[in-house]
Amino acid sequence: MAAAGSGAGGGGRSFSFKVVLLGEGCVGKTSLVLRYCENKFNDKHITTLQASFLTKKLNIGGKRVNLAIWDTAGQERFHALGPIYYRDSNGAILVYDITDEDSFQKVKNWVKELRKMLGNEICLCIVGNKIDLEKERHVSIQEAETYAESVGAKHYHTSAKQNKGIEELFLDLCKRMIETAQVDERARGNGSSQSGTTRRGVQIIDDEPQAQGSGGCCSSG
Amino acid sequence: MSLKSERRGIHVDQSELLCKKGCGYYGNPAWQGFCSKCWREEYHKARQKQIQDDWELAERLQREEEEAYASSQSTQGAQSLTFSKFEEKKTNEKTRKVTTVKKFFSASSRTGAKKAEIHEAKAPSPSINRQVSIETDRASKEFIEFLKTYQKSGQDIYKQCKMFLEAMHHKRELSIEEQSECAQDFYQNVAEKLQTRWKVSPEKVEKAMDQIEKYIMTRLYKYVFCPETTDDEKKDLVVQKRIRALHWVTPQMLCVPVNEEIPEVSDMVVKAITDIIEMDSKRVPRDKLACITQCSKHIFNAIKITKNEPASADDFLPTLIYIVLKGNPPRLQSNIQYITRFCNPSRLMTGEDGYYFTNLCCAVAFIEKLDAQSLNLSQEDFDRYMSGQTSPKKQESENWSSDVCLGVKQMYKNLDLLSQLNERQERIVSEAKKLEKDLIDWTDGITKEVQDIVEKYPLEIKPKNQPLAAIDSENVENDKLPPPLQPQVYAG
Repeated sequence: MAAAGSGAGGGGRSFSFKVVLLGEGCVGKTSLVLRYCENKFNDKHITTLQASFLTKKLNIGGKRVNLAIWDTAGQERFHALGPIYYRDSNGAILVYDITDEDSFQKVKNWVKELRKMLGNEICLCIVGNKIDLEKERHVSIQEAETYAESVGAKHYHTSAKQNKGIEELFLDLCKRMIETAQVDERARGNGSSQSGTTRRGVQIIDDEPQAQGSGGCCSSG
Repeated sequence: MSLKSERRGIHVDQSELLCKKGCGYYGNPAWQGFCSKCWREEYHKARQKQIQDDWELAERLQREEEEAYASSQSTQGAQSLTFSKFEEKKTNEKTRKVTTVKKFFSASSRTGAKKAEIHEAKAPSPSINRQVSIETDRASKEFIEFLKTYQKSGQDIYKQCKMFLEAMHHKRELSIEEQSECAQDFYQNVAEKLQTRWKVSPEKVEKAMDQIEKYIMTRLYKYVFCPETTDDEKKDLVVQKRIRALHWVTPQMLCVPVNEEIPEVSDMVVKAITDIIEMDSKRVPRDKLACITQCSKHIFNAIKITKNEPASADDFLPTLIYIVLKGNPPRLQSNIQYITRFCNPSRLMTGEDGYYFTNLCCAVAFIEKLDAQSLNLSQEDFDRYMSGQTSPKKQESENWSSDVCLGVKQMYKNLDLLSQLNERQERIVSEAKKLEKDLIDWTDGITKEVQDIVEKYPLEIKPKNQPLAAIDSENVENDKLPPPLQPQVYAG
């Protein structure tokens, strides 16, 4: 689902983006989105029922953006389900814990997979979370940033606890997604036909991940 | 359905076999006792009437709205103009579907609103909407009511939906994927048209799309849900069997962050299971999605009560898997496929409902591929549980909490008893076998002993002629006997 629908009534464009949140358990994915959408951290009086699907409306330079943030289960046993989650997403936020070397390795795996499955259409953000624990850092800034650059991703440093870097992360991501969507539209020539190939729903993919893909039924007509 | 049960009846009486109209041809229960010809005539009348009614409604709609707005311009001219413009765009956009889509839309551009009635009446097949159920009927009425609030665009929507249903009827023999493609195209076109031509606000477009989906899918449901041309049903059975085989999976194995010992939580779990099972009973994709969403909300509540913090995906997915395993919802694959094929895509892709639906897809995919590793079990344990040799629940039986239902306790006691009985039965059988073997061995032993003895002391029969002769010779008084009688011959 690229930018959904041109704006109604001419008053500025509106975009709908799907962003997936990937990363091992305990790296702070949930805290990150809760901080962003609800501005809460480990709040005892938190009223939010869930933090797995959150939305946020933004206005960036007159463009309205509806952000749908999809949390994914980070446990290793669910790794294989990734493609079902990140299908048709416009952006991915890959979170690791700066005190945990392993979680950074996981991010690298995710990046490889995403690039393989979705190509360059998807905006990647690699996020080193928990910078409030700088003293226990196990992933070097240099290494992480070089890696991010090498795979065409942006790197961010955040702390959900201290509310650092999160606002910037999402704002930046949105801007990049808008850009990608516009480039995409221009490439297709006419904006009105944009959803032609990407609008198919989510499907369970058994053995042949491509056969049921977006263009699965275009062969015969 | 009623049709099938009717068919099953055995009709012996000749008069019953004949057409009800008495034309002399044979009737068919599927045609309500008419022969094909009479049925078509009868049906045609009923259908004409329905079309008439529909159009009267539509007409009234138009009048009302015209009165309200007192618009002087001819709507029909404008309509067909945009239609052809619209068609042009379509042609540029995609060439592959040109034939079907063009047929559908060009018909609409050529025939004006009034002519469409004739166009519909000309529809040759009597099978479309043959049995308009109460539910379908109600859906159409609601739909028409709803469209009244959309004035002109409402009328247009109604017309398009009717034509779409007609077009779908002729596409029934196409593959389900192609039919799905048609439906998706239809959703997209209507939404686009509402936005660009009628300048309807996005919120209202969304509402209208929901109603359109409800209207058309209530009608298409029985043809496109779990169609015979696919292996959906087979997949359903596979999943169902798989879930049954996994009955032993405990919340602990899946790391489900839900404590069912808390009464409120177990209540939520039960509700979530009910919701997910209920999904199958709904006809409209959106209603099915609503069931999944409702189920998810109950799961979130259960997690929230247990953990006292908002549920993340790390908590949610395992719980959903657990709920699916416990509930074993009917026709799971068919429902997922149906939603995927015929749900309005904008709802499925970015909305909250879409997220929960994706999670359900994940849960099913996980269950299908589940192995020892994904439950943190050793391969041996996993195999033993799968084969039903042991159940992990047994070890827990001692430390049951007090709130476990009595019936369940009794059941486990009975199970224990049964397994003890089984053990004893097996012992008896094995001892009986032993006894049988002993008996066979014993007879064999005796036979062998007897044979041995017989071999050792073989029976010798000696000739007895000699002593007999001696006895004879010693008969000294032999010669004192009178001479033997001689045969005498008499003449005569």
